[in-house]
Amino acid sequence: MQTNDNRKLARNLSLVLAACILASLAVLLALRFAPRGDGPLQADIYRDGELIASIRLDQVTVSYTLPIEASDGGRNLIEVRPNEIGILSADCPDKLCVRQGFRHDALYPIVCLPHRLVIRLSRETDADGTDAVVR
Amino acid sequence: MPTRKLTQLALYTALSLAIFALESVIPPLAPIPGIKLGLANIITLVLLERYSPRDAFLVLLCRILLSALLFGQALSLLYSLAGGLAALLVQMCLRKRLGRRHLCLVGAFGGLFHNLGQLLAALLVTGTLGVLAYLPHLVLAGILAGLFTGLCASFLLQKLPPV
Repeated sequence: MQTNDNRKLARNLSLVLAACILASLAVLLALRFAPRGDGPLQADIYRDGELIASIRLDQVTVSYTLPIEASDGGRNLIEVRPNEIGILSADCPDKLCVRQGFRHDALYPIVCLPHRLVIRLSRETDADGTDAVVR
Repeated sequence: MPTRKLTQLALYTALSLAIFALESVIPPLAPIPGIKLGLANIITLVLLERYSPRDAFLVLLCRILLSALLFGQALSLLYSLAGGLAALLVQMCLRKRLGRRHLCLVGAFGGLFHNLGQLLAALLVTGTLGVLAYLPHLVLAGILAGLFTGLCASFLLQKLPPV
């Protein structure tokens, strides 16, 4: 009897996992083929959840670097390029933020978890700016 | 706690620390924070099977604190705790209900909740909703990595001599 219960629970849990996997794949596919928009690309830099800089990447003509100091003394060196932004170097242990490379679309943010740094990219696609302020 | 058990748990802690250290040398699988194999979870699963949830909790806590001290990953201590405890909690509950044959399933849920816990911690720490964009990646990676650690744990349990 107990094994019967076991089996049923295991089957249901497997279904839950399968549903999670399918839903995730569906979202990833949808994001891949979603319209990207063609409005001006803007990068918002957040440190500890606070907006510290907003840069219109389409207005950048000459690349420049932007050092950011985290609240715990950690450092990230951001490079702003025309229509692109990325992290050049950092003193966090895993350097995942650097490996995330340079971004030129608004799909995913660049994240440096140890330094609580997030670079959010957005494009104003509509006149009502539905995509403009999501915090 | 009897000396014999204390020694065994200490050995498991050392083992999980070694596994953790080994994994941190492997280059990250994807440039997304939180995507990794989580091999140290094998030890958590083995302990849940052979000892008790309390022992698994003690070893996990020691491993997380020691790795923060030894490998200078104090910055990510919070993320490790959030993920590790979430995973332990769900694996503990599931192990109580499911038999040993379903260890993979238990591991898969552990991986999933590890990543959900970490994402929640990241959400609170960065205070930026943008990190949610990585939810689908983390769900997929967590389930797959958890299935793998569950599989490893079942193999290991077959080979280990009884307590």
